[in-house]
Amino acid sequence: MRRSSAALGLLLVPALALGACGNGKSATPAKSKSLTIVITAEPNKTLNPENGNSSADIQVAEALYAPLVETDPASGKLRNVVADSITPDATGRTWTIKIKDGFSFQNGQALTARDYVDTWNLTAYGPNAWKNNGFFSKVDGYDALNPTAPDGQTAAAPTAKEMTGLKVVDDHTFTVRLKVPFSQFGLTLQYLGLAPLAEAVRKDPKAYDHKPIGMGPYKLATDEWKTGEDIKLVKWNGYKATAPQADKVTFRFIQNGDTAYNEFLAGTVDSVQVPSTKKNTFKTDAPDRWLVSESAGNIFYFVFPSWDPAYAKPELRHAISMAIDRAAFANLVGLAKPASGLVAPGIDGQRPDACKYCTHDAAAAKKLFDEAGGLSKPMTINYNSGTSTGQTYAEAIGNMMRQTLGIEVRYVGKPGSEITDLADKKSLEGVRFGGWGHDYPSIEDYLTPMFKSNGDANFSKYANPKVDQLLAQGDSQPNPERAIQLYQQLEDICLEDMPLVPLYHIQDAYLAAKGVHPRNSRYTGVSPLWSTIDR
Amino acid sequence: MIRFALRRILAAIPIGLLVTLGVFALVFAMPGDPLRELAGDKPVPPSVLAAERAQFHLDRPLLVQYGLYLKDIVTGHFGETFDGRDIGEQLRLRIPVTVKLALLANAFQFTAGMLFGSYAGFRRNGAVDRLLMLATLFVLAVPFLVLAFAAQYLFGVQLKWFPVSGTADGFPMSYLLPAMVIGLLSFAGLARVLRTSIVETVNSDFVKTARAKGIGEQRVLWRHILPNALLPVITFIGIDLAGIFAGAVLTESIFNLPGLGQFLFQAIQLKEGGVVVLLSTLAFISFIVINLIVDLLYGVLDPRVRSG
Repeated sequence: MRRSSAALGLLLVPALALGACGNGKSATPAKSKSLTIVITAEPNKTLNPENGNSSADIQVAEALYAPLVETDPASGKLRNVVADSITPDATGRTWTIKIKDGFSFQNGQALTARDYVDTWNLTAYGPNAWKNNGFFSKVDGYDALNPTAPDGQTAAAPTAKEMTGLKVVDDHTFTVRLKVPFSQFGLTLQYLGLAPLAEAVRKDPKAYDHKPIGMGPYKLATDEWKTGEDIKLVKWNGYKATAPQADKVTFRFIQNGDTAYNEFLAGTVDSVQVPSTKKNTFKTDAPDRWLVSESAGNIFYFVFPSWDPAYAKPELRHAISMAIDRAAFANLVGLAKPASGLVAPGIDGQRPDACKYCTHDAAAAKKLFDEAGGLSKPMTINYNSGTSTGQTYAEAIGNMMRQTLGIEVRYVGKPGSEITDLADKKSLEGVRFGGWGHDYPSIEDYLTPMFKSNGDANFSKYANPKVDQLLAQGDSQPNPERAIQLYQQLEDICLEDMPLVPLYHIQDAYLAAKGVHPRNSRYTGVSPLWSTIDR
Repeated sequence: MIRFALRRILAAIPIGLLVTLGVFALVFAMPGDPLRELAGDKPVPPSVLAAERAQFHLDRPLLVQYGLYLKDIVTGHFGETFDGRDIGEQLRLRIPVTVKLALLANAFQFTAGMLFGSYAGFRRNGAVDRLLMLATLFVLAVPFLVLAFAAQYLFGVQLKWFPVSGTADGFPMSYLLPAMVIGLLSFAGLARVLRTSIVETVNSDFVKTARAKGIGEQRVLWRHILPNALLPVITFIGIDLAGIFAGAVLTESIFNLPGLGQFLFQAIQLKEGGVVVLLSTLAFISFIVINLIVDLLYGVLDPRVRSG
């Protein structure tokens, strides 16, 4: 019996001692020209830019590496960074890329054309399973590195390790031959997931996953980035192009958006993205320290099943589109602009009133709906059950349908990948939501994925030979203005056919510490890394 | 005692296999394709998808997959998660975080539970007793999420007594606030168990006998009442410590502590059967071990249940 009370005493003492110590230091924000940027996501798995395509991956790659070209945030036009020139041939199929002299990796190795070609071959090699593999599917010879097999069978080993379309001409020049002409290829080269790897890294990529040899404005402050810690970077003096202002940059990963927001309010970090739960309060929580992007380069919509005859009449689809009050819906989404076309604002060639059927007009919608014969069955609205907002949005659309068109509506929640799967097999019943964010700021990167007959985001399985033909024409048109005219013609056709109904564009909101002003461009969105710092 | 312990451990093995297989089957049956879910709406080249499927044994039937994962656990070759993290490294980083959080939270729970429970037990229907009842109801009524964020905002953002989140301030500073929140939410239950137990013990015959023999009040309290009243409390703590693993999922997310709870949550979200089996095996083992210790301790405290 004696033992037990002694044991009780032992347990109590440390607990009380711990409870007593209260007032602790909390990390003060590093002042001067250093930045602590919160990334509201899981930490990167690797700092190999070729094997990461999440927004966290790209944000960090933007500091460690430099792109060939970039969009000028002030004018929206393309300008060179590492590239000296990027020139297509007359058809836009073979591209000659010259890089500037004087760029090098952070281990001293000079940057050459060979580094790009070898890195890209490594990424395109299927068995490596690197995330940016898909980018190279447009390049001649990609298929030999990525043999496919019918479902359930193992694919054969690739027959080649190098794409026939990539050729080194000299130390500073290489050419890329595509499978088919593509006038927008130059624009796609600003993607940071294409950054070159140093020769040492290419020999043993895994060994460098956490100690990258970059070639951009910043390098790791330590020898190695340890999993579970912040990514700490310092300015690298060897960088030859324009660099952001900060001397030191720390990326901190906080997955819970509300927690990240509280960290900002406590003053421990310099910039954070506003989570959707705070969209109504952030302006009062952090007065004068918030900013909202003019555009975030995306479009959200809902998609009709092209395989279902019930939705076959274009007039019916127009009526459904006109029954939607986009302003009210964007308000529900919060931090969103109603869509009036298929392309996000800020993109070259975007027209603010491209869509004739995107204005809310209940009476006209009902009239058109009845004239088109109505819907022969209840409208099923599918939503992603893995998101917190899916059901709310589905019900909002459903209520507009019921009230304006007087139809019966059903809601079905499924995991996102299951909806995609069913749609791929053309067996999904009813409409679904979808969205697309551009990979490079071009009107083409909206129309191709959403409407080309095998497009990446063609969720309605829309197939129109006229559309494919116009896309091919635009893609092989070397004159940018002429190409945009062709794409706009195409946008009109897609809006008239309306395989999907544009709804809204999401805007980003950020909080930034006093004296820190993240770059906010209507072309490239908000970038905390490129902040102007005056403190 | 050693034979008793061995018998318990041997009996645990088939139960453990059954439990983890059950968990794995549940994860397996979840709808959706994890590799495509990871990619979002962007299509994955078939060659990449096939390479990944083979790497994670996803092209094999359920029982084979389970067997392969089990083999990985036994041989210590944990491999990588679907999104490319080294599982062994993750465990090395995450286990200490969760253990620190759980122990500290239990310390708070135990301290508060003991203080309030014993006081309420001896001063039945007094102010503390009534307050305790109220606190129990309050805790049952307020969602954990609300309390955790409120505490974070008040003590982290406004008063700046504690770091808002993360482990940058080390142990114990980074863990105090989350541990206190868990402790606050679970001490009331413990206190009520102790209170009831004390009330029963105080009225039992051996206490009356002790008093009749003229033993002093202090001695009766410390030597006769408390040790006996503590028996159910120890069982309660054993079960609760294991339960903290479940609570860690939310706490770790809100306070950005990179522990096992967040890992488990991600694994379930991604339908990552191998990781879920590994983590539930860990949870199972710690549950068995803790309860074994509790049972052995029981024997030490109470000669009546000591087994030969």
